[in-house]
Amino acid sequence: MSRPVIGIMTYAEEAQFGLVDTFAAVLPLSYVHGVHESGGRAVLITPDDPDTDILERIDGIVFAGGSDIDPTLFGERAHPAAHVKPDRDAAELLMMRAAIEADLPIFGICRGMQLMAVAYGGWLHQHLPDVLGTDYHRPAAGPKFGQHPVRFAPGSKCQEILGDEVIVNSFHHQGIADPGRLTPVGWSPQDGLIEATEDPAKTFVLGVQWHPEDSTDFRLFAAHIEAARARRDRHAPVP
Amino acid sequence: MTPVIGISCYVERARWGPWDRSAALIPYTYVNVVAAAGACPILLPPGGGQASTVIDRLDGLVLAGGADVGPDLYAAQPHAETVTRPDRDANEMALLRAALAVDLPVLGVCRGMQLLAVAYGGALDQHLPESVGHPGHLPEPGVFGAHPATFAPGSRVAAIFGPVSEVNSYHHQSIADPGRLAVTGWAGDGVIEAVEDPAMRFVLGVQWHPEEAADVRPFAALVAAAGAPAGAAARARRAVAG
Repeated sequence: MSRPVIGIMTYAEEAQFGLVDTFAAVLPLSYVHGVHESGGRAVLITPDDPDTDILERIDGIVFAGGSDIDPTLFGERAHPAAHVKPDRDAAELLMMRAAIEADLPIFGICRGMQLMAVAYGGWLHQHLPDVLGTDYHRPAAGPKFGQHPVRFAPGSKCQEILGDEVIVNSFHHQGIADPGRLTPVGWSPQDGLIEATEDPAKTFVLGVQWHPEDSTDFRLFAAHIEAARARRDRHAPVP
Repeated sequence: MTPVIGISCYVERARWGPWDRSAALIPYTYVNVVAAAGACPILLPPGGGQASTVIDRLDGLVLAGGADVGPDLYAAQPHAETVTRPDRDANEMALLRAALAVDLPVLGVCRGMQLLAVAYGGALDQHLPESVGHPGHLPEPGVFGAHPATFAPGSRVAAIFGPVSEVNSYHHQSIADPGRLAVTGWAGDGVIEAVEDPAMRFVLGVQWHPEEAADVRPFAALVAAAGAPAGAAARARRAVAG
């Protein structure tokens, strides 16, 4: 049985590896691992000037974490703490809108979930400590995860996959203020911040604020890949 | 529809922004030349198997540069200077074999060219400075060399670059035995600089780095071959894939 082919959008960053210091398409290997451990075959899509024709070659798509969403996309000026990549935003929004239109199964992680909210007409808190008064969602200054519970709405896809509540890792300083036309389905009980969103009208449009790829819980990857498999098999020509 | 060209990618510990971690990555020079050649690039990380599933979705394959090919693949003991990436070897060898099985166009760059030679039954020279007696193919770590390459009349590589071309150079291994591939390019010291399989739609390997020179020509030739009428196997494959 051939595996569904899952596209993952990469970062585009100045990167150092070995003796090389260059502008590179780069993605934490944990995303690739999450897809491969969950029954998919990962291929990576770069956020330069993408051609949406590529969506016809994949069965599902993952929008990964990374830098902040440019607040000009929802009509605000950038917070001093913002680190934005406007080119990546533009490329990923183009791909996300085409993927939504094609009803391609979409899984958004952290930045990917926030981008999904913007694509659906929502907007973001630019710096959660200003809103919540705490570092609860990004406790350390460096790349170190925090941890907190998330509760899910009865009847949501997230609750069906993960149960009523899970403990998640957390590393973000932006957050969804308004999910637009997406349905919020998961919250941090401590402060009410939106942690998961879905579009129930689509086959699989699901975003989470945390980082399942950097955990051992790949159930959301598996559910996304199953949706991709089902869509591929529906579209396969009758022999 | 825009052709889609797969590029095999590196897996290395990398640093970017606040991160220092294991990553799938590729220098953007590869992405840019494939896009400039009129195709959509898509990166193919190791792991997950399913080479033919991936090849079914592509119009062409670029085997990128990087670390040394594992000497176990051509039944040799590793040299002290040989640094390998077995995960890349396994992924790229499987992708290459699946591509050749359906006559999908393939371009091998540096390591990718050496992998082509090994797949065609050849073998590598594991540390070139010991064989040619000079460091000209990799002058010092992190610094590209440059030298002329001469190409065989009537070859695919000569059709792209002309009879002679100045090329950049950054490798310490080279092809010792091209196996069943035709050798179609040489440096002045006799080092093999280009190989091809004239029986296939497009199978070309170059020892240098056209992507670093932003030389779109070999990538454009790959894309042109990808758009050319496919062989019977590829047509059947497309019909099944819908």
